[in-house]
Amino acid sequence: MPQTPDLLEVREVAKSYGPVRALRSADLTVAPGEIHALLGANGAGKSTLVKMLSGALRPDSGTIAVAGRQVRFSSPVDARAAGIAPVFQDPALVPHLSVADNFTLTGTDRAAVVGWIERLELQVDLAERVNSLPLALLRMLDLARALAHDPQLLLLDEITAALPTDFADRVFGVMREWRDNGRSVLFISHRLTEVQEICDRATILRDGRAVDTHRTSEGGEARIVAAMLGERAARVDLPQAAASAASATAEPRLVVEDLATGARLKGVSLTVAPGEVVGVVSLEGQGEDELFLSLAGDLKARSGRILVDGVAVRGRHPLQAIRKGITLVPSDRQFAVLPQRSIRDNLALPLYASMRSWGWVNARAERRAVDSAVDQLEIDTRAADQARQLSGGNQQKLTIGRWLVGGYDVMLCFDPTRGIDVGTKHQIYRLLRQEASEGRSVLMFTSELREVRLVCDRVIVLHDGRVVAQMPAAEADEERLLNAMHDLAPVEAR
Amino acid sequence: MTVTSPPVPQIPLATGHQSRLVRVVRDEAWTGALVVLFAALLLWQSTQITAWGAFELQTLATSTLPLIFLALAQGIVVIAGGIDLSVGAQMVLFNCVSALFMEGRGLVACLLIALGTVVLGMAVGALTGWVVSRSGVPDIIVTLATSFIWLGVALLVMPAPGGGTAPGFQTLVSGSGSAFWPALLCVAAPLLLVWGPLRRSRAGLSIYALGSDPRAAFLAGVDARRARMTAYAVAGLFLALAGLATTAYTGGGQASAAVGSTATLNAVAAVVLGGIALTGGVGGLVGPILAVWCLFLIPANLLTLGVDPSYGEVVKGIVIVLVVLGGSLLRRTWSRS
Repeated sequence: MPQTPDLLEVREVAKSYGPVRALRSADLTVAPGEIHALLGANGAGKSTLVKMLSGALRPDSGTIAVAGRQVRFSSPVDARAAGIAPVFQDPALVPHLSVADNFTLTGTDRAAVVGWIERLELQVDLAERVNSLPLALLRMLDLARALAHDPQLLLLDEITAALPTDFADRVFGVMREWRDNGRSVLFISHRLTEVQEICDRATILRDGRAVDTHRTSEGGEARIVAAMLGERAARVDLPQAAASAASATAEPRLVVEDLATGARLKGVSLTVAPGEVVGVVSLEGQGEDELFLSLAGDLKARSGRILVDGVAVRGRHPLQAIRKGITLVPSDRQFAVLPQRSIRDNLALPLYASMRSWGWVNARAERRAVDSAVDQLEIDTRAADQARQLSGGNQQKLTIGRWLVGGYDVMLCFDPTRGIDVGTKHQIYRLLRQEASEGRSVLMFTSELREVRLVCDRVIVLHDGRVVAQMPAAEADEERLLNAMHDLAPVEAR
Repeated sequence: MTVTSPPVPQIPLATGHQSRLVRVVRDEAWTGALVVLFAALLLWQSTQITAWGAFELQTLATSTLPLIFLALAQGIVVIAGGIDLSVGAQMVLFNCVSALFMEGRGLVACLLIALGTVVLGMAVGALTGWVVSRSGVPDIIVTLATSFIWLGVALLVMPAPGGGTAPGFQTLVSGSGSAFWPALLCVAAPLLLVWGPLRRSRAGLSIYALGSDPRAAFLAGVDARRARMTAYAVAGLFLALAGLATTAYTGGGQASAAVGSTATLNAVAAVVLGGIALTGGVGGLVGPILAVWCLFLIPANLLTLGVDPSYGEVVKGIVIVLVVLGGSLLRRTWSRS
C-alpha cells in the first residue's frame, strides 16, 4: 500500500539471549487497513518479534515506530497505550481470578468488552474463574478484551491453533471488519491456507531475518514455503545413512496404538522395528511433546496402548517405562543433567536406579561401562568434575550416553541436536545409526527437517494431534515434509 | 471459498446459570468446612463447661487477637506469591515500640501512638516489599534476615520486659468484664475498611494476579513491584495491629525471640489451614481467622478434658495435616471432573 504512512514500522530490530541470536535484523511494515501475516519456521524469530511489539521484551537494537512516531515499550501497558493489543496462544488471563476481575485488572471498559463478547457469540458467566474455563473460550475472551481497547493494530499470535472451526470463523470475521474500518491486524499462523485466504500481505522470517514480504495474491503457498526454507531447499544433502538392515518384516519392537492424552494428542498409532530409526516431525504444539512424554511414562495417557515386544506398558512413572526398556532423552538437557556432579556420576546414574539393594556400588563394573560410553561418544573429559562446565554438545552426549551405560531397547530422542554445533551433531547422528545397526530402536523428534534424511529410516508427520503422513526417509525432502506439517495437499515426489 | 480449519471437536462452552450455585459452593467450600469445624469445636466446648458463655467467648476473641492479625498479614503476603518469615519479629517490635511510648500516658495519646505505630508498620512493610522486588532475592531469605534485624531492634528499644499503656486502651481492645465484641470489632474493622475495598480494586486484584501467574499478570500490565509493595504494606498494617493488640492484652512489651518465632510458625499454620495456597493467588482472609480460632480451641478443649497439653499440640498438628490433605484431595477430584 504505497503513499499512506505505515501504521507500524519495524527496522533492523535485533535480540540475543546470551549467545543465541534469536533475531538478527528484522524489518516489518504494516499499513493501515491491512491484514498482514508474519510467518516463519520454528525458531525463525517470530515469537521474539511479537514479544517486542507487545511490550514484553525490549530490543537490543533497531527501531519500532507506530504511526510515524518512534516508540520504546517498557511494559505491555505502553504497547496498549500506543494502540497495539496482543492476543497470545496462551491467553494472558490470570487463572485464579474471575473473568470480570481480569477485565478490571486491565482497566478494560466493561460495556465495550461485554459488547464484543455478545458480538463473538460467547456464552460465559463473567463471575466464573478463569482456570475452570476451556482454553478456546479463554482465547476468545482475551480477543474480546483486546478489541475492547480499540487498538489500531491487533496482534494475533497463533490464535487459531486448536480453535474450534466456528470460533476461528468468528475470528476471521472480526479481522475483516477491523480491516474494513481502516485498522490493521498482524496475524501469526502456521496454517498457510488461512493466511492465503485472509491476509493481504505476508512477511516471512528465516533465521532471525525478514527474507520476503509480498502480497499473498502474488505467489501463493509455494512462495511462502520457499521463503521459509531459503537456500536449503536447493542444497542437496547426501543421505549419509542408507536404510540400515532394518526391515519392515521384522516384528516391531515398539507398538503404539491410538495413544491420546486429551486436547493436544488425539490418537497416534505407530511402530518402531528393531534396528530402525523413526523420525517424528511437526509444527510446534501438535502433540509431539505429549507423545514423547506419555511414551516415557511422564504423562498419563487417557486412552490407547503402548506395547514393547508385544507386552503392554502400563503406568504413570518413568521408572516403569525404563524397566521396559523405553528411555527418554528430553528436549531440554537441563532437565536431565545433574549439573554439579561429575561426568562419571551422570553417566552411571541408571546403574544406581537399577540396583536391587541399597548396598555398595560395583565400582569396577561401573568404571568399565562408563569408560566405554565415554569412548563411544567421544566425550571431552577435560572438565570431568562438574557436568555444568561442559559445552551443550557434551552435556547432550551425557544424556544419551547414560542410556548406553544403563541399557535400553527403545530410545526416545526429542530434538537431540537442538542448539549444538555441527561437529557434535554429526557425532550424534553416527551414534544413533550405530545403535540402530546393533538392533536397537530409536524414535526421534526433530525440528531440523534435513536430519530426517541424515539419520532416519522412516518419518512420521504429526498435525493436530494425529499422524497425517508417513514416508520413507529417502522420499522425505523438506518441501514434502513442510507441506505435510502444514496439512496441505501432498506434492508429487520429484 | 471460505477458510476451512481442521475439524476440532466442539467443546461445551455454555456455563449455564444452574452452575452458579455449584461455583459458589466450590469456591467457598474451604471456608464453609472451617465454619463447620469451628462450630463443632465451640459446641464441644460449651457442653464441657457448665457455665459456658460470654467469658469463654471473650477469652477466645481477646487472646487470639494478635495471632489473627499475624495470620491476616501472612495471608496477604502468601496470596501475593510470597512468604514472610519476619511477621513474628515485627509483631514483637511493634509491641515493644508501642509499649515504650504508651507507658504512663492517657488514652488519647495512646491512640495517637497507635496510629503512629500503624504508619511505621506500613512503612516497614513497603520497604520489605521494595527490597524483595529490587534485589530479586527470594522473600523467604529477605524476611529471614529482616526477622533478626527487627528482633534486634526490639531488644535495643526494650532490653528488659517493661513499658505500659493506658487502661482505657486495654479496655478498648480487650473489652471490660466479659464483653467479647470489642475484640471482634478490632478484627472486623480493618478487614472491612481496608481489605474489603482493596480486594475489589485493581490494586487488590494485582496482588492476587501476581501470586496466581506472574507472567499473565505482567502481560496484563500489572506492575509487580508496586503490587508486592502494596501487599507487604497492608501486611505491615496488620502486623502493627498485632503488636498493638499484644500491648493491650499484656499491658506492656517484651522483646522475646521465642514469642516471635512461635508466632511466625503459628501464622503459617493458620494461613495453610485457612485455605490459602502457599503457591499464591488462592484464598481469602476469612479462612485464616476461623483457622486461628480452631487452632486455639483444639488444645483448649483437650485441656478441659484433662488431657496433657502436650497431646493438645500433637492433635493440633494432626488436624492441620488431615484438613490440608483432605482439601487437596477434594480439589484434585473437582479439577478432574
